[in-house]
Amino acid sequence: MSRMEKIRIDDLSFAYGKRTILNRVEARFMENTITAITGPSGQGKSSFLMVLNRLWETIPGAHVTGRVNIRFDGEFRDIHHRSMPLTRLRRTVGMVFQTPNPLPMSVAGNVAFPLKLAGTGKRKNTEERVEKALSRVHLWDEVKDRLKDDARKLSGGQQQRLCMARALVFEPEILLLDEPASSLDAKAAAGIEDLMLELKNTCTLIVVSHSMDQVRRTADRVLTLESGELHGCESS
Amino acid sequence: MSRRWIERGFTVFAFAAAGILMAVTMVLTGYLVMKGWNSLGLELVFGTTRPMDALCLRRPVLDGLFPAVAGTFALVALSVSIALPLGIGTGIFMSEFASGALKRMFSLFYDILAGSPSIVVGLFGFSISIFLHRYVSGQLYPCLLISALSLAFLVLPYLIRSTQTALENLPPEVRLTALALGASPVQNLFYVLIPRSLPGILSGVVLSIGRCAEDTAVIMLTGVAASAGLPRSVFGNYEALPFHIYTVSSQYMDSAELATGYGASILLFGVTSSLFLFSFIIKNIATARTAVSGPGL
Ligand SMILES: Nc1ncnc2c1ncn2[C@@H]1O[C@H](COP(=O)(O)OP(=O)(O)O)[C@@H](O)[C@H]1O
Ligand SMILES: [Mg+2]
Repeated sequence: MSRMEKIRIDDLSFAYGKRTILNRVEARFMENTITAITGPSGQGKSSFLMVLNRLWETIPGAHVTGRVNIRFDGEFRDIHHRSMPLTRLRRTVGMVFQTPNPLPMSVAGNVAFPLKLAGTGKRKNTEERVEKALSRVHLWDEVKDRLKDDARKLSGGQQQRLCMARALVFEPEILLLDEPASSLDAKAAAGIEDLMLELKNTCTLIVVSHSMDQVRRTADRVLTLESGELHGCESS
Repeated sequence: MSRRWIERGFTVFAFAAAGILMAVTMVLTGYLVMKGWNSLGLELVFGTTRPMDALCLRRPVLDGLFPAVAGTFALVALSVSIALPLGIGTGIFMSEFASGALKRMFSLFYDILAGSPSIVVGLFGFSISIFLHRYVSGQLYPCLLISALSLAFLVLPYLIRSTQTALENLPPEVRLTALALGASPVQNLFYVLIPRSLPGILSGVVLSIGRCAEDTAVIMLTGVAASAGLPRSVFGNYEALPFHIYTVSSQYMDSAELATGYGASILLFGVTSSLFLFSFIIKNIATARTAVSGPGL
């Protein structure tokens, strides 16, 4: 099967004020692949992810130049173009942060939160989508009797999967994971790796990771971010 | 002198400062209670009227503090409900929308407002009521509404600042969570940022309540009266506990009358404490519901 390009990045620069983080980066990301991004900390890996869903725009002093094109429904679109609705972009490009960040509400409430924001979904439908998202991250069996409990009572690994389910409820085409296993023990980390491999069937994944083992087991390609440059090699 | 002695001296000073403050507070409350204890009782509040009659507004209380207590509650409720939306709205504006020179200019204004002595604010309220009397309606005099507006003005800086700081101190991850899930900036405010700032905002509300309940200078110039009875309308006169304490202590006839002043002080203490307790409980509930918690365990 020949894979199609999903993301095209051309001449992309990013800076916080005068501090340059990305310097004229070129990159391509293929559909249904996992790309790992490694590199020393503080080099801008998290910032790079925030460029892809335009989350950087909320940070005072941050600015971007260059082009990021993402293929929506078979057609490449510049995500910075005026005609690109921000909410649509962020529903298509899901993001999970490094530390699990459940909102102070119930387990089900957290997963349904993006639906609530979008104002979509009748009750029945919402329940179905919540169950589906939780099942995809293999959390459903563990929490199906505690859907109304405070999400912050779950364990670290469960919270991380809950946040993934929340990002998946809109079935994004691209999923950005920032060091998804960094706060987890070995067993929970292995669970996340399996999950990433499954999600590859429906998503294009970009995963920041420090663990070389994890990268070797999951990634189709590894990119290193250092001194504003993104360079890489194809693996396997 | 050796460093050790300086450090020791500083430690002693810190302990002494805390101890002296504690002692002063205890002497103050102890003195109040001692002086006012004997006048405390239903009679202090309701005079010779039966409490049920007074509470059901069947009979006026002519020789008790009931009108003053009611007046203070009405004043606090009215001022805080005027100031609350304005203050929180402005705080949100300052933290989320203002920037650069505009923000600095607004900041300066609020600092000036925060620094205005209450007698000046009272004078301003007084001039407003004269203006209204002359040019809008001859029926308008200094009244509960003017007092409440002036007090609202006085406490606005607390509300603005506490809202602004609470919002600005939210950790960046909290700001980004909902946005990354497709929330608009306004949705982010209402679903995440404001609920998470509630404890901080409520501290401002607590401060404001205390300030409104104790203020005397503003209300003296804007509509409080010694024997106005229960507040009947926002356009009428009213009584208030701090003003009662002021009049009694400045013109008492005998020691029994002075004792009612002490009694009124204890009541005012009780009123503010119960208002504080109320906001404290709300604040704790809000904190428990929105507290940041680490992963699991
Ligand atoms: N909101 C911000 N404002 C200014 N500088 C920032 C901000 N966030 C991160 N940085 C800086 O940008 C650099 C890259 O940060 P980050 O993307 O978190 O790196 P990484 O994820 O690779 O550790 C760091 O040096 C950090 O200090
Ligand atoms: Mg990072």
